[in-house]
Amino acid sequence: MEKSFFAPVKAWKFLFEKPVTIKVPKEKRKASERYRGFHINDWDKCIGCGTCSKVCPTDAIQMVEVPVLEKKFGEKPQRPSIDYGRCSFCAMCVDICTTGSLQMTREYVHLSSQPEAFIFVPTEKGIKNVENVEIGWIKDEDSELLELERVEMEMIEAEERVKSFIEYVKGYSKEQAIHEAARCVECGICTDRCPEHMDIPEYIKSIWLDDLEEGLRWLYKTNPLSSVCGRVCTHRCEEVCAISNRGEAVAIRWLKRYIVDNVPSEDYMKILNFNPKPKEERIAIVGSGPAGLSAAYFLATMGYKVDIFESLAKPGGVMRYGIPRYRLPDEALDKDIALIQALGVRIFTNTTIGKDIKLEELKEKYDAIFVSTGFTLGRSTGVPGTDHPKVVQALPLLKDIRDYLRGEAPKPEIPETLVVIGGGNVAMDVARSVARLQKMEYGKVNVKLACLERNFEEMPADMEEIIEGKEEGVEFYPGWGPIRIMIEKDEIKGVEFQKCLEVFDSDGKFNPKFDANNKMILQGDMVVEAIGQAPDYSYLPEEIKSKLQFIRGRILTNEYRQTDIPWLFAGGDIVNGPDIIHGVADGYWAARGIDDYLSSKERS
Amino acid sequence: MMNSMNDLLEELKKLFGNFEVQEIDEREVKIDVESDKVVGILTTLKSKGYSHLSLLTCVDWINENKFELIYILYSWQNGCKFIVATWIERKNPKFVTVMNLWPVARFYEREIHEFFGVEFEGNDDMKPLILELWDDIPPLRKDFDPLEYSKKKFPGRQYDKDVIQEALIFRGDKNG
Repeated sequence: MEKSFFAPVKAWKFLFEKPVTIKVPKEKRKASERYRGFHINDWDKCIGCGTCSKVCPTDAIQMVEVPVLEKKFGEKPQRPSIDYGRCSFCAMCVDICTTGSLQMTREYVHLSSQPEAFIFVPTEKGIKNVENVEIGWIKDEDSELLELERVEMEMIEAEERVKSFIEYVKGYSKEQAIHEAARCVECGICTDRCPEHMDIPEYIKSIWLDDLEEGLRWLYKTNPLSSVCGRVCTHRCEEVCAISNRGEAVAIRWLKRYIVDNVPSEDYMKILNFNPKPKEERIAIVGSGPAGLSAAYFLATMGYKVDIFESLAKPGGVMRYGIPRYRLPDEALDKDIALIQALGVRIFTNTTIGKDIKLEELKEKYDAIFVSTGFTLGRSTGVPGTDHPKVVQALPLLKDIRDYLRGEAPKPEIPETLVVIGGGNVAMDVARSVARLQKMEYGKVNVKLACLERNFEEMPADMEEIIEGKEEGVEFYPGWGPIRIMIEKDEIKGVEFQKCLEVFDSDGKFNPKFDANNKMILQGDMVVEAIGQAPDYSYLPEEIKSKLQFIRGRILTNEYRQTDIPWLFAGGDIVNGPDIIHGVADGYWAARGIDDYLSSKERS
Repeated sequence: MMNSMNDLLEELKKLFGNFEVQEIDEREVKIDVESDKVVGILTTLKSKGYSHLSLLTCVDWINENKFELIYILYSWQNGCKFIVATWIERKNPKFVTVMNLWPVARFYEREIHEFFGVEFEGNDDMKPLILELWDDIPPLRKDFDPLEYSKKKFPGRQYDKDVIQEALIFRGDKNG
């Protein structure tokens, strides 16, 4: 083939074309779309959980305290720093990030002769302070390293469970528990949130390692009511669980229950191996609810002699007489109490302080006293008709039902139709308990529950209680305030309500506003008021009462739950409330306070 | 599963005895076969149109004390895939080369040797393919601890740079 004479000249045209090569470093070549370049971290999303740092295979990520960050539940005031001298750009930190705040950009050029210049705390502007950095690697379903869905807890179906008071949450099997435990990233944000600061990641890890004895030791380090809390704790921990930022929180409460349910109670003492040096001082505890039992446990493990006085026939307080059996069977509570008694704690039941024994007498026999008498008095709405004998308070009714189920009391009167007033967990307990009794007695449920709060979110009751109550046939009427109990010929016919427009005013104070023109009637032949409880301080002599400070009905103490009277400590609902785990925490701090008080007294 | 794949499976079973079959989708099937039958099965599959060795890789099943070797064969005729898997001992892992069937296997086998430590008899080219100056156990074995290696190889250093201060300036929380 003959080549054209002018062929070489053709090449000259390229003189006027743009070169295909890129002028590095003047121009940068764009990284590919899913490039794993330098990091970007959204500080507002990041919760400082440190999971990125833990997963890093090259030890490139360290968490650094950020003093200016606000301290709040669900977050740690720290952010990841990344050493790009170590980073291998594997993106596991991005794939495991609990919030999704950490991502990788398409930036890859960074030059310096100084090693100091290779460490950064990435921000929203990456490491180079550039607005709108192009994102490269984003985790997707395939690269996700967290398991976002929890292992489902088996429960008895609503139709079946409403026929009896049997515990309807079945508990995890070993395989389920280990699977659920594997979802934990061990950040410990839950521990900060728990009022008692339980070692949650530690006991979850014990489950994962299938070492339940170790798990039990972690539980009993901070919580002697683990069998109870494993069932009915308000689980604030789960609300802040790092996994809950994008998925379902680890089922911390059910995992705790798994440990206590699967270690035989006869082995507890051997495993926990308490070995306190006996002390001479004696401590009296008034009330055997969560705070009282907790204080007794911690004091006994320090070697003190502890006596508990309980006015009712059985110990446990609200756990025995308030919370319904379908959520907390007696056996679970008995297991926790048996261990406390095995430590030498004596419990005197049917003994009311202030009546059978005066508080002053107690003071003479004991070196310190811890009072945890709870909120035992019911509050009434006070609307016309509430003095009718078939308008009853929640707590006495719940007690009658539990006594009846234990065979210790006659069957309470079961209304064919019931109206419950109140939107908290106690109101749920009443509604769901009576629903069961109705089902057993009449074969059908007719319970209506009305409360001021305008919707389920506003109601103080747990959402799961509302959902489960609904499944069991309880009818809900949120956003209604009672006007009067309707009585005809001395029989209760129902309750008349008016629409509630607003529960709290703009200052957040309880100050309900109503629309008097919008009324409704709920029919019922019995009414239960469950709008809150109040303390009963009648056992405190005037002389003592006058020395104490009360703030909105609660006794003021220092952090060691010590009142203004040095030998008198207090805890539980009468100090903090509102739940069992806060009571356990009060017991713990009071025990430390009493120990400090008695030790310093000894020295002086 | 496509009919032709089913027929081929039956034929393989007739020739080599029964084995476990896992259908992945319409055009993809995984078979678990005994080690001494691998070459025979691969040869048969190759002659039936599954002529392309897309991948040869390895999985470390440390708890079972085994390695799983995985051959992925692709047919350009019908777009179907056969995944042939076999388990070998994890201790002194050895297998035979398939270089004579697919010359490209030379490189796959070099890579598996480098990252898992498996020897392939008949392949005399076992030089490292990717890593430089590697001085530890093959790094894709599950008992290799990358964090520990990283710490040993690159001891931590102290930085004086105030990284938080820099980040706060970037975020506008503080003026530079």
